[in-house]
Amino acid sequence: MLSINRRGALGLIGAATSTIVLPRMSFAQDKRPSVKIAVQKITNNNTLCVWNEQSNAGERVFFPNLWEGLILRDWMGNQGPVAGLATEWRRIDDKTLELKLRKGVKFHNGDELTAEDVAFSFSKERLFGETEPKGGKTIFADEHKPATAKELPASVPGIGRRVWPALAGVEVIDKHTVRFHNATPDVTLEGRLYAFGSQITNRRAWDEAASFTEWARKPITTGPYMVEDFKPDVSLTLAAFDEYWGGRPPLERIQFVEVPEVASRVNGLLSGEYDFACDLPPDQIATVQSASGFEIQGSTILNHRISVFNTQNPVLADPRVRRAMTHAIDRKAIVEALWGGQTVIPAGLQFEIFKTTDMFIDGWQVPEYNPGLAQDLLKQTNYKGDAIPYRLLNNYYTNQTANAQIMVEMWKQVGLNVEIQMKENWAQIHDPEGIKGVRDWSASANINDPVTPMVTQFGPNGEMQQKKDWTNAEMNELSVVLETSTDRALRKKAYARMLEICEREDPAYQVLHQNAVFTGMKSSLKWKAAPAFAMDFRSNNWAM
Amino acid sequence: MIRFVSIRLLRALVTILAVVTFAFVVLRISGDPAQVMLGPDVPQDAVDAFREAWGLDQPLWIQYLAYIHSIFTGDLGISMRDKESALQLVLERIPATLQLTIPALLLKLIIGIPAGVYAALHRQSGIDRGVIMLSILGFTIPSFVMGLLLVLIFSVTLGLLPSGGQGTWMHSLLPTITMSIGGIGLLARFSRSAMIEVMGQPYIRTASAKGLRWSDVVWQHALPNAAVPIVTIVGFMVGALLAGAVVVESIFSWPGIGRLLVVSVANRDLAVVQCILLLIAATMVVSNLIVDLLYGWLDPRLRGQAAH
Repeated sequence: MLSINRRGALGLIGAATSTIVLPRMSFAQDKRPSVKIAVQKITNNNTLCVWNEQSNAGERVFFPNLWEGLILRDWMGNQGPVAGLATEWRRIDDKTLELKLRKGVKFHNGDELTAEDVAFSFSKERLFGETEPKGGKTIFADEHKPATAKELPASVPGIGRRVWPALAGVEVIDKHTVRFHNATPDVTLEGRLYAFGSQITNRRAWDEAASFTEWARKPITTGPYMVEDFKPDVSLTLAAFDEYWGGRPPLERIQFVEVPEVASRVNGLLSGEYDFACDLPPDQIATVQSASGFEIQGSTILNHRISVFNTQNPVLADPRVRRAMTHAIDRKAIVEALWGGQTVIPAGLQFEIFKTTDMFIDGWQVPEYNPGLAQDLLKQTNYKGDAIPYRLLNNYYTNQTANAQIMVEMWKQVGLNVEIQMKENWAQIHDPEGIKGVRDWSASANINDPVTPMVTQFGPNGEMQQKKDWTNAEMNELSVVLETSTDRALRKKAYARMLEICEREDPAYQVLHQNAVFTGMKSSLKWKAAPAFAMDFRSNNWAM
Repeated sequence: MIRFVSIRLLRALVTILAVVTFAFVVLRISGDPAQVMLGPDVPQDAVDAFREAWGLDQPLWIQYLAYIHSIFTGDLGISMRDKESALQLVLERIPATLQLTIPALLLKLIIGIPAGVYAALHRQSGIDRGVIMLSILGFTIPSFVMGLLLVLIFSVTLGLLPSGGQGTWMHSLLPTITMSIGGIGLLARFSRSAMIEVMGQPYIRTASAKGLRWSDVVWQHALPNAAVPIVTIVGFMVGALLAGAVVVESIFSWPGIGRLLVVSVANRDLAVVQCILLLIAATMVVSNLIVDLLYGWLDPRLRGQAAH
């Protein structure tokens, strides 16, 4: 016969209660928040491929939540390299880098990360197409071919070779060890491994996709969040990947929604529709900050606003005119007037991140604001007030048009006649027909070495020289040193000289200010913006 | 009648061909899609490869002939951005746009015409002046101002409606209202002036003098005669069902044809832009054709003109 005493009865009641309460508590603990982020653009090319979508918009939705590389960028720190899918790496020689892969890393489809996936991620089929490495030939090509051929977008191999100009191949040593073989000596291999694009994808997922587009709309990666739904031009939803090697992600979902109008993004934030509103211009900061329960997080990013000169223009062929132009600009006034002092004037075409590789040139500055000097320089030339065309896009860059109008007035003050010509797109800016003069651009540091942007943008194969805007023989010789020398002191000396050439002696460009990005958000969210477009939603940057 | 319809069909085809040709030329001479799509920092190798892959390195007239040939074979091209059929991309967006434009059109008809007719029948009254004032206000305030104003009131301040995006039926309320306000004002003014003109005609006086009920005079004699200019305006509105939501879709982040058009033009996604323009032109032409036919039905005098 069943007998129940008082203690037994209490136990039964407790057990019964716990069957009701505990699952709910467990559910409550398991319940994670989701966030909705309004962005101006989700992607430019409607894919989520890191090589096909090399843009600020892409950086935001890719890193560090979706795509990961062997070496990661320290997004919330000094932007330098930290261990990622590789736990350690060592130099075999000047051309070879060996990396040990992190064990137990899972892709979103459940596959374990192996050396084969790494080799495939840098293969001809995935990246380089028919291109060959500079200074050598492709090796290990046949070993990593996918089961089905995919037609790469025509532009991808060219973009891949910009970051990896001389990569000959990736050798699989064992399941968790790879060697990167470069055709030329290169001290920046480690830096290139955490550049935008050098992230790892799952080979099986590529094989199983019917087309490049199908794969690129839902790439299988190792990040803390995986693609759940992607509607091009509309929304992208990332869902938590609980088998992430770095621990359980703090958010259930991250939804990026495309809201092209600034006013609509701000209104959506203030009405509670969105948790974050990105890409806010400086003039919207006060609006958001004055609303109760909202704040702005902003920071400078690894991108400088510059304007560049075309030396085919007979007036600008004289470097003294270009020098005059650089001394006529009061950068501080621009930063105060247009940016509310929320950004900085950098030390020329340098980034703080270069300090991590001891490539920062201390003491170097942008040309001083000195209208008198500008006028003196002009007097030394034959300049008679001929118009200098300024091909301009309507706010492709934040504050671009207002900035241009201010600069034109500043140039006018010293006697320079610069005429704005509004253009609709980059093709019109670069149109070889007609006379060019000055135009806007920006320069990014993709890695912690001045090879980007100094060589990639202004070197012999950079856009400036390819489009015949400007060239300099010594600059081209120094570019080879910066790209291939392994003598660090020599490289630093070469970089210092390049700054002198490009910013003083024979100006190719003038640095205006560092770019900054501003995000409006609900103050209740315990999240910090990185000094980048990327938005870090890993557990170390999200407090409940 | 057959000749009448045939001539108009022929004109419609010529119009569509003109639109397509114009779009083709303008899009190509106003920017290289490779440079626009790949951005300012991409290496020249990548730009060249893109041009070659999409045939943009060919002379313009070869590209044009190939395009016209493909249209006649039912192939409207592949999107450079999405690598998918341009027609498919456009068709996917049409329901979202119609979800806004059809209710907006109905609102315009249901509110605009009766308001205008009522104002005309009560000319110089307070209601008449009110209708005139509101209709001027309605169609002079640009839709991007009106949209933001409505969002500020109903989303930000009152928190009653979503500020943008496509989700529930409530998401479509503000964009639909924004789109309809201008059209309501326009239709009210046209209806009012058309009715005032008709009401001053001798046959209205005759009908009244015959002792007809006032409502019969209005419904049987005034309205059918006032309908011709109103139908013209409504015809344009129907023709703009696909194209009329460009601004509103951008303000409310509505994923319809309008936004696709803006994005595609900005990116010089040639096939998609041409496909959208082709559809818009076809809609407008068909709408005008129907209006032409309706004229004959509404006004028997016009049937005779059409026959000649």
